[in-house]
Amino acid sequence: MLRLFRLLLLPLLVALGGRAAAAEAEIRGRIALPKPPPAPVKQQRYEVVTSGGKVALSPALAVVYLEGEFPPGPPPAPARMIQKDQTFLPALLPVQAGTRVEFPNLDEIYHNIFSFSPAKRFDLGRYRPEDRPIPSQVFDRPGVVTLRCDIHVHMRAIVLVLATPYFTVTDEAGNFRLNGLPPGNYTLKAWIDSTETRAKPVALAAGSRLEVDLP
Amino acid sequence: MKPWLAWLLAICAAAPAAASEAWFDRVERALTFSACEDRLRARLTGVLSLEGYAVDTPPPGLVFADGERLFNPRLMLLLQGQWGGRVTGFVQARLDRGFDPGDGPLELRLDEYALLFIPWADRKINVQVGQFATVVGTWVARHDSWDNPFVNAPLPYENLTGINDSAAPATPHPLLEIEPDERYEYNPVIWGPSYASGAAVSGRWGRWEAAAEVKNAGLSSRPESWSVHRRNFSRPAFGARVGFRPDLRWNVGVSAAESAYFLTAAGPTLPAGRSWRDYRETVFGADAGFAWRHLQIWAEVFRARFEVPVFGAVRTTAGYVETKYRFSPQVYGAWRWNRQTFSALALPGLGRRPWGADRNRIDTAVGYRFGPHVELKFQVSAERAAGEPAGTAWHAASQLNVRF
Repeated sequence: MLRLFRLLLLPLLVALGGRAAAAEAEIRGRIALPKPPPAPVKQQRYEVVTSGGKVALSPALAVVYLEGEFPPGPPPAPARMIQKDQTFLPALLPVQAGTRVEFPNLDEIYHNIFSFSPAKRFDLGRYRPEDRPIPSQVFDRPGVVTLRCDIHVHMRAIVLVLATPYFTVTDEAGNFRLNGLPPGNYTLKAWIDSTETRAKPVALAAGSRLEVDLP
Repeated sequence: MKPWLAWLLAICAAAPAAASEAWFDRVERALTFSACEDRLRARLTGVLSLEGYAVDTPPPGLVFADGERLFNPRLMLLLQGQWGGRVTGFVQARLDRGFDPGDGPLELRLDEYALLFIPWADRKINVQVGQFATVVGTWVARHDSWDNPFVNAPLPYENLTGINDSAAPATPHPLLEIEPDERYEYNPVIWGPSYASGAAVSGRWGRWEAAAEVKNAGLSSRPESWSVHRRNFSRPAFGARVGFRPDLRWNVGVSAAESAYFLTAAGPTLPAGRSWRDYRETVFGADAGFAWRHLQIWAEVFRARFEVPVFGAVRTTAGYVETKYRFSPQVYGAWRWNRQTFSALALPGLGRRPWGADRNRIDTAVGYRFGPHVELKFQVSAERAAGEPAGTAWHAASQLNVRF
């Protein structure tokens, strides 16, 4: 009896799951990205020798996200931004509000991450790669958080805290793909930098696939 | 305009600027240059410092002012360049009232410049040529006003001794007593960051690091001696440091330096048949540092020996322990204990007596950062020298720094 029930239930679940997947919408498009600024010059006046020495190039990227009213979901998974070769990786990290971000130091030298941004003000101090737990912060307020290193002036990164679980980072050509979106009327936004955010209203039908460019 | 009013206005002007991070970002972009597909990069940065001093007389260390109040504005500009991954360089110029805080007219100076080259791909060794800070000790790494938790330098880098590099003492008196009006004629063990000209090689191998330099002037030499145009390499000065990091938190090292300390102009005051090259300054130093989370501690001690015509060798020991704690991203506190002692000198008719006044100084500072680009510091120092009838001398200083 139980076996029969399983045999009947399984195709039903698959069918329901398939319908749910088909109901999710997708937006693809392209963001026209600005020309990247010159790479930073490393301060090494009084360092005994440069460590790593990787030239930190920072191609322009944009964060594309869907803004609107969403039903409450599960708590966001922890995220990570590492310090390697005197660079933050990734240099731009979008997270949903409430996300805990860990900051492992993978260099053989100290860094000292701090932020004066109103959305999150903190100072992690200096810590070794082997120190546990890995220093972290919960980013609970939407906004732009600029991270710096108190020791290496050229190190800079951004944590973009968003009030939405639907976001992605473009590739270096500006292409993006946002999927798994719920149907409804929303605003599609592209965060270019701290002074520029582009926006366009979108209406998503169940299972629809939109092409949206933000020039 | 009254100095205190200028200082107050500067704070009022700085506060809104601190809030405008975007403005500093625009300045940074405007002062950054890139060419040859990003292989050639250059960036101009700077720190505008407004310092105020309220000191007992005579003023402490390398502060050269007649009165008890001093306003000392300073603009430091640093141009850094990078060609690929292995060649870098920098030029530092300052507009201020003198290399050391003083009440002179504003002057523009080229204080530091160097070309740095990493000869091998494993990046373990740097070669540096130019006019730059000494490799001896560890205070140099935080001597810029933005990095220094205090307004002034530790005692070994600024306390004037009885050594006068422009004239040999004909009697014991100039060696034993520093005339307040002639303070600038005298020398400390190390004159600030000692930006003498020359070449240095530095490297790191696992937990070990080492640096050695050949310069045109020694550690105690005055700023006028540091340029190659003012002093050549006919009697080079040597310095070196070896460091060991048992752990990222700890850093210990030893330093040594040797040079001739007299200026060539002192020649006529020296004994017949002797040259300025014959009288040496020899310095041995040890340093230790600890840093973890929001706490940093540094300690250095130097033992210096000066060969003085007629009177023989004199010795002094100078050191300090310094600590800094960041209470928040914006507020830090710092505390430093400095001490310098002098060896005894046998003098005909005067017996044995120290050739300088043993000295203790405690510096306490608090700093507030308005943002990543603007900070304000206050410092109070209590200084006591053996045999001083006036007892403890109190000095206060404040510094507003705007970094761009």
